[in-house]
Amino acid sequence: MRVGIPHCGNAYVMAEALVQKLGNGKNELIIPPPTSHRTLDLGVKYSPVEACLPFKLTLGNLIEACELGADTLVHARGTGVCRLGYYVKEQEQIVHDLGYDARFLTLDVSQNKFRSIMSLIKEVANDAPWPQIISALYFAMEKLFTLDKMEKAIHRVRAVELEKGRANQIHREAVKAISEAKMVGQVKNTAKEYIRKLDQVPKDPTGDPVKVSIVGEVFVVLDPFANMDIEMELGKLGVEVERTMSLSRWVKYRLFLNYLGVNEWKEVHKAAMPYLKRNVGGDGWESVGEKVVRAREGYDGVIHLAPFTCMPEIVAQNIMPSTKEDIPVLTVLYDEQMARPGMITRLEAFVDLLKFRRRRMRK
Amino acid sequence: MFKVGIPRALSYYQYLPAWEAFFEALGAETVVSPPTNKAIFTAGNSRAVAETCLPVKLFFGHVISLANKCDYMFIPAMRSLGKKAYYCSKFIGLPDMTRALVPECPPILDPEIDLNKGRRNLYSAIYDLGRHFSSDKSRIKKAAKQAEKAHLAYRKEMSDRGITPIQALDEMHRDEDKLYSEPDTSPSLSVALIGHQYVIYDDYINHRLISRLQAMGVRVFTPEMAEQEALDIAMTKLGSAPHWSFEADIIGAGEYYLEAKVDGIISVAVFGCGPDSMMIDMVRHRASEFRTPFLHLSLDEHTSEGGLVTRLEAFLDMVKRRRRVCA
Repeated sequence: MRVGIPHCGNAYVMAEALVQKLGNGKNELIIPPPTSHRTLDLGVKYSPVEACLPFKLTLGNLIEACELGADTLVHARGTGVCRLGYYVKEQEQIVHDLGYDARFLTLDVSQNKFRSIMSLIKEVANDAPWPQIISALYFAMEKLFTLDKMEKAIHRVRAVELEKGRANQIHREAVKAISEAKMVGQVKNTAKEYIRKLDQVPKDPTGDPVKVSIVGEVFVVLDPFANMDIEMELGKLGVEVERTMSLSRWVKYRLFLNYLGVNEWKEVHKAAMPYLKRNVGGDGWESVGEKVVRAREGYDGVIHLAPFTCMPEIVAQNIMPSTKEDIPVLTVLYDEQMARPGMITRLEAFVDLLKFRRRRMRK
Repeated sequence: MFKVGIPRALSYYQYLPAWEAFFEALGAETVVSPPTNKAIFTAGNSRAVAETCLPVKLFFGHVISLANKCDYMFIPAMRSLGKKAYYCSKFIGLPDMTRALVPECPPILDPEIDLNKGRRNLYSAIYDLGRHFSSDKSRIKKAAKQAEKAHLAYRKEMSDRGITPIQALDEMHRDEDKLYSEPDTSPSLSVALIGHQYVIYDDYINHRLISRLQAMGVRVFTPEMAEQEALDIAMTKLGSAPHWSFEADIIGAGEYYLEAKVDGIISVAVFGCGPDSMMIDMVRHRASEFRTPFLHLSLDEHTSEGGLVTRLEAFLDMVKRRRRVCA
């Protein structure tokens, strides 16, 4: 069995770490090449025209995995009101029409996540003993958590560094070093080393960067290819970016703490209540709630990301302007027609507006 | 007597008789908005964000047109009509979106319909809704029974006589002499129209598609003209459990009419419809396996009548020619 997976942000680091620890035997994990314009082209070519961007990108990934010889494809399936629940049905048909004889494994991300993920890992790991799997999983998670921690640190430095681009360079090196690390201790040391390097980056001592929170649909928020490195572009404009959503947070809560009754979004849902009373699928409820929370926390602005025609986010987008907690929101919709310069122009205009608003409010 | 406003949009085409029966049994009067017109279209269009799909924009227009004519607005939040089968997000967020976009709207009655959680959940939603009008539990129960009866009769009327919801509703609300004659069986071509009720039956969205086709000598079949069970059976034949509550009405209907050997399939969807973006592709795929001509019309607020007519004519010419060649 050769298992191909789609990409989503830095999820591949986890997959790589698992392969590193568990090895490839009869069953093998195939990580497709990083999402590129070819991936997008393939996805666009074979998807229904009006499918959303995550559908097209993940389809591209899966086709590229098939080209590398994958015979089993894994995809997330949510039982919810978003199109995600339909991905597998549709992609299976497209992949078969292309002549690949691949079986689809669905990874349920809304119910029984823990069991379905663990049994999948067990299968791909050629039935390795559980202690070995658990230690590999721990190692993979350590890498993921470290990467997300690094990212948070990078966001702060990017906004105030004197020499633009320094933080990004350190980030690239750190990602490389972390994905090459072979032991948990090594991962930890690497992280420390790079955090120290970040501390040493010369920063603007008077810096009081504009603070912006990124909210929206999980895939475009987490995947830098899908969102055209929006966080990096904001960093270039001297904006400090904060985002609640991250893959490590998802793993931490959805795979473990949710089972203990901890709901990571409780406060956010409560904040959304007066405006949106119920879960509308995807991340729509959270987007509305986070806008309210961020306004209360005194952020300068919110940037709301969504794939074009995303149903839950359209609900959120319709409701957001009516909240009494006032904070500027820029909605950026992504599809295959979107060009980076267009996005940057809009970001520049938005940041100007935020700076102007801040000056006026402080007077 | 309370007046309950029912916007003539979205679920209206499916459930109006049931809703009217329910509210009438509880002693409330129902007010329905007029058929979509330019004023409704413009009003709805100006409130919602641009990416919202056309039927939902029109829904807001209908709410606006009713706003000062009723005491309550009835906007159910439809989440699910069956085990693990769901509605589109916009149906669930409809009451909350209306509250945000139409501040002049009277208090909204927004029962959450979630059959995924079981029938008990539905009963309590109905009871909570009925309590606005009556504190008598058995009266609410009776009203719900009557609503169910009205719905089944309405559904049967359409499938037995092969008429559209518009015709069925017209007959219910007008005089006997306006009764629609039985469908003319002489037309030479049969075409199945696949799409959501609020797209195929809203003449403003689809530029009078049904009557246009009939004028071109086509016998039009719509999903409602088949029995619900038949659609469900056609759906299950395809092997996978439905993900959307209305999947049988699209994919099931496509399959049903393909098997019934219609001359062509026309699918009608609005631009930006999430569920349709995937489902229509499934129907198209099946149609190509059956080698049945297939036309997909994607409509939005800019669709021009001329372009639509040209495409229909070309499609029908192709179907006719194909029939001649194959015969």
